Amino acid sequence: MAERVFITGIGMITAIGDNVAGNLHRLRSRQSGLGYSSYIDTIHRQVLPVAEVKHPSESLFALAGIAPTEGFTRTTLLGLAAMREALQHAGIADVQSAPTGFINASTVGGMCDTEKLYFDIIDPEKTGAFLQYIDTLDCADCTQRIADTIGFSEHIATISTACSSSANALMFGARMIKQGMLPRVVCGGTEALTRFTLNGFNSLKNVDKQFCRPFDQQRTGLNLGEGAAYLVLEGESFARANNSRILAELTGYCNTNEAFHPTSPSPDGDGAYEAMKTALAMSGRSLEEVSYINVHGTATLNNDVSEGKALERLFGDQVPLFSSTKPFTGHTLAAAGAIEAIYAILAIQQGLIFPNLNFSERMEELNISPVTELMEGYPVNNVISNSFGFGGNNASLVISKYEG
Amino acid sequence: MKGKCYIQGMAAISPQQTFEGDLFSAPLVHTDSNLLACMEPDYKPFIPANSLRRMTRVLKIGLTAALRCIQDSGISIPGPIVTGTGKGSLQDTEKFIKEIVTYKETALNPTPFIQSTYNSVNGLIALQQKCTAYNNTFVHRGFSFENALLDSMMLIQEGTSHTLTGAFEEITAEHFYIKSRIGFWKENKTDSRELYQHLSPGTIAGEGATFFTLTGQPSTQTYAAISGFKMLYKPAPGKLSTTLKDFGESADLIITGRNGDSNHEHFYQELDSCFPGIPQFPFKHLCGEYDTAGAFGLWLAAQIIKAQQVPRQWFPQQAVLSAPVNSILFYNHFYGEQHVMLRLERV
Amino acid sequence: MEELKKKLKEQIIEALNLQDTKPEDIDDNAPLFGEGLGLDSIDSLELMVLLERQYHIKVEDPREGRKILQSVQSMAEFIQSKQPA
Repeated sequence: MAERVFITGIGMITAIGDNVAGNLHRLRSRQSGLGYSSYIDTIHRQVLPVAEVKHPSESLFALAGIAPTEGFTRTTLLGLAAMREALQHAGIADVQSAPTGFINASTVGGMCDTEKLYFDIIDPEKTGAFLQYIDTLDCADCTQRIADTIGFSEHIATISTACSSSANALMFGARMIKQGMLPRVVCGGTEALTRFTLNGFNSLKNVDKQFCRPFDQQRTGLNLGEGAAYLVLEGESFARANNSRILAELTGYCNTNEAFHPTSPSPDGDGAYEAMKTALAMSGRSLEEVSYINVHGTATLNNDVSEGKALERLFGDQVPLFSSTKPFTGHTLAAAGAIEAIYAILAIQQGLIFPNLNFSERMEELNISPVTELMEGYPVNNVISNSFGFGGNNASLVISKYEG
Repeated sequence: MKGKCYIQGMAAISPQQTFEGDLFSAPLVHTDSNLLACMEPDYKPFIPANSLRRMTRVLKIGLTAALRCIQDSGISIPGPIVTGTGKGSLQDTEKFIKEIVTYKETALNPTPFIQSTYNSVNGLIALQQKCTAYNNTFVHRGFSFENALLDSMMLIQEGTSHTLTGAFEEITAEHFYIKSRIGFWKENKTDSRELYQHLSPGTIAGEGATFFTLTGQPSTQTYAAISGFKMLYKPAPGKLSTTLKDFGESADLIITGRNGDSNHEHFYQELDSCFPGIPQFPFKHLCGEYDTAGAFGLWLAAQIIKAQQVPRQWFPQQAVLSAPVNSILFYNHFYGEQHVMLRLERV
Repeated sequence: MEELKKKLKEQIIEALNLQDTKPEDIDDNAPLFGEGLGLDSIDSLELMVLLERQYHIKVEDPREGRKILQSVQSMAEFIQSKQPA
């Protein structure tokens, strides 16, 4: 019998808070993190809203718990801030106290800093401290700097499957535990806003100039966000022996590819349907036992049709309460899966269903609409968290209340 | 990693003639430019012209090697696709960074952005194979391919019958220059045939795409079994030797990632002192150094153990094996940070 | 108009790297997407970039884009309608 996988610590930083408590407060009070960028050097600064972490990189060093050092990108600093909280929350003073893996996720590594220096880097005439940043472009850089700062050495990996990256990191960590390879793995992702990514999504014509409107008939695209989130996963036997405080259980997951198109989901949501169905089957929970779905809900024309269709196909006319929290955090790409997994845990712990902001008109293709008001005192036992990405990379997680 | 898996199919696009023809009589391709570039095959038999027109080089070599591997394995039912790449499509990343500036953030073509995404090759393979199974991409320098291999072995342990597991990497002129600024390459032009004789800081660059079909059960076509696997991240002094000794006990041949880089040669010297007298075959003079060069090394090891011979023109000094090879120890590291050991057994 | 369509065909071939296609292979009224040239949604974004870079015409709404990009004829008509007489 494979080990059950428990979540025993969480940490995060997003546009709506420097930690989990801050995020919860803003989710409860419907305060979005969307606005206009203070830090990205772009002509779109006053045009395309983003959900930016409200600290310049210099002041992130304090949150990351290190002295200002060359070579630490915003991606790394956001990651370290979230990592510190997750470990502290799990009561881990030293990650070497038990074999602990670190599975990180990133879509563009340290591009946030590299893109500012790139033309100096390729110019033989220029030299200076910026050379410290040469190797920060790749995705492993943030992982290794976080690992080296914290002291992870047992197993490290970085996953990059676009918008589903950190959901896949959680899955990979859980599987390592189930196979008895490690008793404890910290999983999640980190993403800093970049001019590169903003222009990339804008070139795909799917960035909204207004605050994003998931599942709304008038939606025209997503808003990007930044942040980081990590979850401490522990195998049951270790968690019990260690007397860990168990926050929730990761009961199901599925990674599937849609094989439909390089960037678009299929109109009927085949991949989303398959991912949710298989993850739920693994969890052993029935359709009726799903209390809430934190949808991917990017507010792009294609995603919401596809995901909505998948919900209707899977649940028929009994679609559970669902909402997208992207109007709070923006789409944080590699960090999204982990951020939303933490929101799922908060929903379970606090008995909350978070509102889908900016919704006013049901989509013509669908018979369902998201929750628009905060619901309190609602029993939440099982949450499906969806992350769907480019390349047809789809992932669903099932996070369940810990019942002993 | 406990458990075992079998290599049922393979394909490599590399600086050598590895894509087709008889590798055991293939000539040794060499350079003194410090950069070993891939020999690109004809893509048309593999990729429809309508898809090919947009793809950049690493996408083409990645997809083509994957498809060739599927052919070689004889298993046509698609399974999970797991890959590793250190840098993804550098050409597309560089292009998009520049176009942002050239066109002042307006009227940007989305293709380089889409293709710069690290999982784009995986997406293309899945698309072309209509494969909806598990799909994952690891992007972690010298642990990129190795995590993909670990993931694949875990999938097989979980009951998956076979996986398509591979790696792809390219080097561009611009990236070659960038890495030269932090001492990745040798300062003097070095003949790749004499790579190991010129111990000095840095090595020579390379690139390639290598794919494997891994199975849980052997067949008559199996190249080799992977029976042991260990990754070490920045090992403390002494840790490497003790792990290597445990790991490589029964090896009768060693494949190493030695690359003439004096900064990190001491790790390979530790290997030498652990296994005196066991014949060693280094592979970086064939493919150059890159994040996922380990996949090429594994491919070579599997060829040798299956054929019980070495490609004679690639190793002119030790072209004949003096004894049967039943177990190969593979050891590679990437700039001293990510260390990998694999054990291959003859089937 | 004929001149414009000919030029447009050359620009499409170059922008989309349609190596084996010649301008005369493209029928003015043949659908560019699906059947016909077999282009996809990424090509449609690239064609919008072409309009912006070559003709300084910006198409904001992808839904509008689909109508404009039906054929070489519809593209040429759109370009002409946007140019000062």
